[in-house]
Amino acid sequence: MLLFKLALKNLLGAGTRTWLNVAVTSFSFVLIVFMSGFYQGFLEYAQQVTLETQVAGGAYWHPAYDPDDPFTLDEAHGIPPGPVSEQLATGDAMPILLTQGSIYPEGRMMPVMIKGIPPDQNIVTLPTAVLGEYTGSAIPVLIGAGMAHSAQLEIGDVFTVRWRDARGTYDADEAEVISVMRVENPGVDVGQLWLPLEKLRDMLEMPGEATYVVAASGTELLTDIGEWQPKPVIFFMQDYLDVIEMKSSNAKVMYAVLLAMAAMGIFNSQVLSIFRRRKEIGTLMALGMIRSRVVALFTAEGGMHSILAFILGAIWGGPLLFLVATKGIPLPYDPTEFGVIMAPRLMGVYGVSMILGTTLLVAIIVTLVSYIPARKIAKLKPTEALTGRSN
Amino acid sequence: MQDNHIVEIRDLVKRYPVGGGHFTALRDVTTDVAVGEFTGLVGPSGSGKTTLLNIIGGLDAPSEGAVTVLDMPLGGKNHKELAHLRREGIGFIFQTFNLLPVYTVFENVEFPLLLMGMNGEDRRSAVNQALEWVDLMDKVKSRPAQLSGGECQRVAIARAIVKKPKLIIADEPTANLDAKNSHNVMGLLVNLNRELSTSFMFATHDEKVMGYLTRIIHLIDGRIDKDEHISEPEYRKGK
Repeated sequence: MLLFKLALKNLLGAGTRTWLNVAVTSFSFVLIVFMSGFYQGFLEYAQQVTLETQVAGGAYWHPAYDPDDPFTLDEAHGIPPGPVSEQLATGDAMPILLTQGSIYPEGRMMPVMIKGIPPDQNIVTLPTAVLGEYTGSAIPVLIGAGMAHSAQLEIGDVFTVRWRDARGTYDADEAEVISVMRVENPGVDVGQLWLPLEKLRDMLEMPGEATYVVAASGTELLTDIGEWQPKPVIFFMQDYLDVIEMKSSNAKVMYAVLLAMAAMGIFNSQVLSIFRRRKEIGTLMALGMIRSRVVALFTAEGGMHSILAFILGAIWGGPLLFLVATKGIPLPYDPTEFGVIMAPRLMGVYGVSMILGTTLLVAIIVTLVSYIPARKIAKLKPTEALTGRSN
Repeated sequence: MQDNHIVEIRDLVKRYPVGGGHFTALRDVTTDVAVGEFTGLVGPSGSGKTTLLNIIGGLDAPSEGAVTVLDMPLGGKNHKELAHLRREGIGFIFQTFNLLPVYTVFENVEFPLLLMGMNGEDRRSAVNQALEWVDLMDKVKSRPAQLSGGECQRVAIARAIVKKPKLIIADEPTANLDAKNSHNVMGLLVNLNRELSTSFMFATHDEKVMGYLTRIIHLIDGRIDKDEHISEPEYRKGK
C-alpha cells in the first residue's frame, strides 16, 4: 500500500510526462476496445442477418447440390424425401428450387441465379408475400437492392429472362420486377431473381421438386433422410467464423502496434526516469529502502500508467463506446453495395469480458515494460546512484 | 567493542578498480567514534572522507579490515541487512540536500518513518517535532523547489533526525550554503547533538564547520594523518 501511494505520488508529481504517457496508453486502450467491439458487432450482425434471411434452422440438400459448382444445378433437383416432406406439410420447412438463367435488361445480358420460393413462407425474413399478390401476365420477380443497382432495374421494369428446363430446352419469357427488397445479406441479393416456387417449377417442368429445403428456426433437423444431406446451422456459419478468425488475426497485429506505441512511451519514460532520478534512487537506498522495493516502486509507477489510462479511457472513451454501442455509426454508403453483410449502422458490441481482458492485457504489458528498466536499478550501487553515475 | 563506541574501525582498506589496476582510497584506517561525538573528517579532495563516510553508512563495502557500526559488524552483511541498519540507526545529510522533489516538506521528513512502518499518529507527531527543531513549521506544505538552499538543508536535517538515529552522517552539509546559513545549520546540529546525544560524523573542508567540531580526523591520501580532540570548539570561544 505504501508503494502504491508513493508510486501514485511520484507519477502525479511528474506532471506532463505522466499525462502524455497516460494519454497515449488510454488512446490505445480505447481504440483496441473500440475495434474489438466492431468486429464482435459485425460478427453478431452478420450471423443474425444470415440466420434470418437465409439459413433459419438449417437445410436439407439434394445429394447433387454443390453451391460452389453451378454445373451441379442441372442435376440438383428432386422431390424431397418422405420425412422432410412431413416437415414441409406442417410448415416447419420450405422448399427452394434453383436454376441458372440469363436476363436481358435493356439489351444487356446478365447471368443470374433463379430461385423459387413459396410466397407465403415465414421461415426466412424475405418479403416474398408480394410474389403471391401479382396478377399480371409476366413472371413476377423479387430482387434485392444490390441486384437492382447492378442490373439497373426498378419496380415495374420488364425484361427478358431465359432459362433451361428439365429436358435441357432453352426457354424465355418476360419478367417484371414487382418489388425491390432491402436486405443486407448479399447471399440472397446479388445476381439473384426470386420467383414464386410453383411458377419456377412450371417453367422448369419440375413439379414438386426442390434443390434444397430450409428448415424453420427451432425445428429439429432430421438425419435419417436417405441420400439428401442435412446441413446444420453451424455448417453455414463456418465461413463467417473462418473470416472473423482471419480478421481477428489481422486485428491482433494492429493491437500489437497500438500496444507497442503505448509500451514504448512508458519504457522510454521509465528509462529516462532511471537516468534522471539516479540521485533520488540513491537517496531512497540511503534512507533504508531495499533494492527490491525500489524496483517494485518503479515497476508500480510504470504499471500505474495503465490504471490511470483505464480511468482516463473510461472518462473519454466510455461515453463514446456507449454511444457507438447504442446508436451505432451510420455508414455513408449503401451497405448493399459492399457485397458483404453490413448493417446500415455499424454497431459495437462491448462485453464485460472483452473490456476486462483488454484492460488486463494492457496492464500486464505496461507493467512488464516498466519492470525491465526498473530491474536495472537493482544493479545500481547506492554510492554510484548518489553521485549520479550508473553502472 | 566498548560500550561508548558507536563506530569501530580496524585496519580498513578500500580499493576501487581503475583500468587494469586499482586505486586505494583508504589505507590502514583504524579509529573509534564515541557516543555523542561531533566528529569531522577533514582533508583535501580525494583524501577519502566521503569513502570513509560511505563505508560507515553501509553504502559501500570495505576491501579489507573490519568496521562495526551500532554494534553491527558490516563485513559480509547483505544489502538488506545494511538497508535495515541505515533505516533504523543512521541519518544522512547530503551536500546537495537530496530531497524528493515531488514531495512536500512534511512528506520528505515523514519518508524515513514510512519506511520504518511507524503508525500515522506517531509519525505526524515525530515529523512536527523535527520540523519545530529546524523551525520550518510554516513550510510544511512547500515543495523543495519552493525553498531556499538553507531551508532545503534544514528539511534534510529534519529528515535525518526525525527517527532519532544514534548516528548522523553528513557529507559536506554546508558546501552549498552561504556563511550565514552555514552557521545556522551547524548551530542547529550542535543543539541536536546536545539534546538528543546523537553522534555526528561530517566530511568537510569548510573552515566554518571545523569551528563547531569536538573532534577532527585529518585524512591525507586515504590515511589518518592526525586525530584531534578539541575540548573547546571555536564557536564557543566566540560566544
